[in-house]
Amino acid sequence: MKQLILDFLPPAPRTFDDFVRGDNAELLFQLGEWAQGEVRALYIWGESGAGKSHLLSASEARLEAALPSYYINARQSMLPQQIEGNAALLVDNVEYLDAEQQITLFDHYNTLREGGGRILASGNLPPMLLALRDDLRTRLGWGLVYQLKSLSDDDKIAALLRRARHLGFELHRELAEYLLHHASRDLPNLYQLLEEINTASLSRQRAVTLGLIRETLKSS
Amino acid sequence: MQIKVSTEDLWSHCLNELQQSLAASQFNIWIKPLANSAQVVDGSLVIAVPNQIFLQFIRDRYLGMIEMAAAKVCNGVPPHIELKVGVLAASAPAERSAKPATQETVQEAPAPVQAAPKPAKRFDAAGSNHELSRLNPGHTFDTLVTGKANQVARAAAMQVAENPGVSYNPLFVYGGVGLGKTHLTQAIGNFVHQHNPQAKIRYIHAEKYVQDVVKAYQHKSFDDFKKYYHSLDVLLVDDIQFFVGKDRTQEEFFYLFNALLESGKQIILTSDKIPREIEGLQERLTSRFSWGLIVPIEPPETEMRVAILLKKAEAEHFKLDANVAFFMAKNIRSNVRELEGALKRVMAYSRFTNQSITVDSAKEALRDILASGNRQVSVENIQKTVADFYKIKVADMHSKKRTRDIARPRQMAMALTKELTQMSLPAIGDAFGGRDHTTVLHACRTIQDFRQSDQEMAHQYSVLLQMLRS
Repeated sequence: MKQLILDFLPPAPRTFDDFVRGDNAELLFQLGEWAQGEVRALYIWGESGAGKSHLLSASEARLEAALPSYYINARQSMLPQQIEGNAALLVDNVEYLDAEQQITLFDHYNTLREGGGRILASGNLPPMLLALRDDLRTRLGWGLVYQLKSLSDDDKIAALLRRARHLGFELHRELAEYLLHHASRDLPNLYQLLEEINTASLSRQRAVTLGLIRETLKSS
Repeated sequence: MQIKVSTEDLWSHCLNELQQSLAASQFNIWIKPLANSAQVVDGSLVIAVPNQIFLQFIRDRYLGMIEMAAAKVCNGVPPHIELKVGVLAASAPAERSAKPATQETVQEAPAPVQAAPKPAKRFDAAGSNHELSRLNPGHTFDTLVTGKANQVARAAAMQVAENPGVSYNPLFVYGGVGLGKTHLTQAIGNFVHQHNPQAKIRYIHAEKYVQDVVKAYQHKSFDDFKKYYHSLDVLLVDDIQFFVGKDRTQEEFFYLFNALLESGKQIILTSDKIPREIEGLQERLTSRFSWGLIVPIEPPETEMRVAILLKKAEAEHFKLDANVAFFMAKNIRSNVRELEGALKRVMAYSRFTNQSITVDSAKEALRDILASGNRQVSVENIQKTVADFYKIKVADMHSKKRTRDIARPRQMAMALTKELTQMSLPAIGDAFGGRDHTTVLHACRTIQDFRQSDQEMAHQYSVLLQMLRS
């Protein structure tokens, strides 16, 4: 009989402490400056799965509570119609903004610039290569622009070990390496796999071994 | 040749001739402002121009045409024409020595260029709150870096700032994104405010104006809306192309425009194109936008980009080495905003590493920005961009058609390919439907000539160059 598990995973943490720094120390420093209001416009680009959304969430959490702030994932939701001039606006996945939304963001950008507010945006490409209206992408490129560099294999292994510990099991280094060689290598996917492995291990009451990982990979 | 005809006869004839032979945009920019600035003095035609740039432009490009037009009225012999910077004297000036028609005396006049009533008298005494103007106080003429790319626009803006509502109304500034249109126009607002704190000035982005119209609708407050806007002394509207497709906004703006102009209030507009190229704007607006002066802002050349970097760095109290500024200016060419973004990145790097910036560390700091900009522009991309720009088919780039509406864009694309790629001339000829390399060479020379003689062509070239580089 299969063991049912209490599907009560701890929420995926999205803090700076949980972020694997890799080659992104300067960017992380500047995100701290942004949350403090020292830097007012920052744009992060990088490949999907590199951790842009994670950083945006972590940055929002760092803002002082009294400040009006808006977090929008352009892939799923719309920008607010109006924002306060001193607000903090975080826009994830800007490449998904449609024509109308681009004008809204353009407008918000100007409002924030005039009103002393700040903006943190992310996208898959550097500003000048984004397929957005010229007046918007040049504005995104006006502030600090950083590429979020993907992690090296060693960094990814470290991240996997840490995440496994967070889920409540020990992952051996060789097994983490196996995952890197046999699964899609972006971190969100690897984290997802860890959760599936965790579920399989709990429901079948088996230790996390190479055999279990293979079976999970096959079934996922 | 001593002129025997009256000023009115001679100059109005010249104006007529020029209007017929010049493109409307050229006539409106360079000749129309001089409509009331010519006088026959001691047998010479004296034309007063607003500034040195104007003088140079008129002398280099239009003097010959003016002479020919004037000659028709003066029995076929071109009269002596004198260009001078400044205002026309009320009475006849002292005796002038006769000079050949090709050499003009240049007189500098430090006084205001056009006789105008003092601005203070024209503005309402009702106090104004500068906060409400929405002007960025940092956008002044002093902080604006001037170079070849914006010197005409700056000179025109300065004139308007000194004599709002008098010299050019409206002033229409156009150019690509991130080239400083907003800075320049806001500098006018700040200048007027400085010299007349009572003036009611309002800067508004066109998109915000559209929203104001919508709000007036929603709240049934059109009376307040009108009352507010019609009470302004200086109105600055940025990115007027945002009015496209907004009929009610265009209608409201039409009435506002007329009301302000009639009462001698200054209007300043910016756009990414000249008025008649903004598709979807009502004809009555495009024609009115062309009434005053239309001036372009071009992308800055390398030296000007260096100057911009040094000035921005200075404003931030950051010591930027000139070599580093040159390195950045040479490598980041798309627009001024990206350049400023790069400067912020270098400053951030310096703060983060606690090091001063050298060319090597700038390279390091800008590594990902430079890597993303180092894309080679392909000939296909150039052909597609140019074809879209002139609304012709990409296939026409390879076709045998030789009509001007096709051949000119094709020559433009060839010239741009030579500028932007490492391709040899025979290879370029091949890419354009198997043409000979001499055809490519001819195209490059033709475009080069046009860029010097035709302001509109020169602008189109630089716009395309900017589009392809960014």
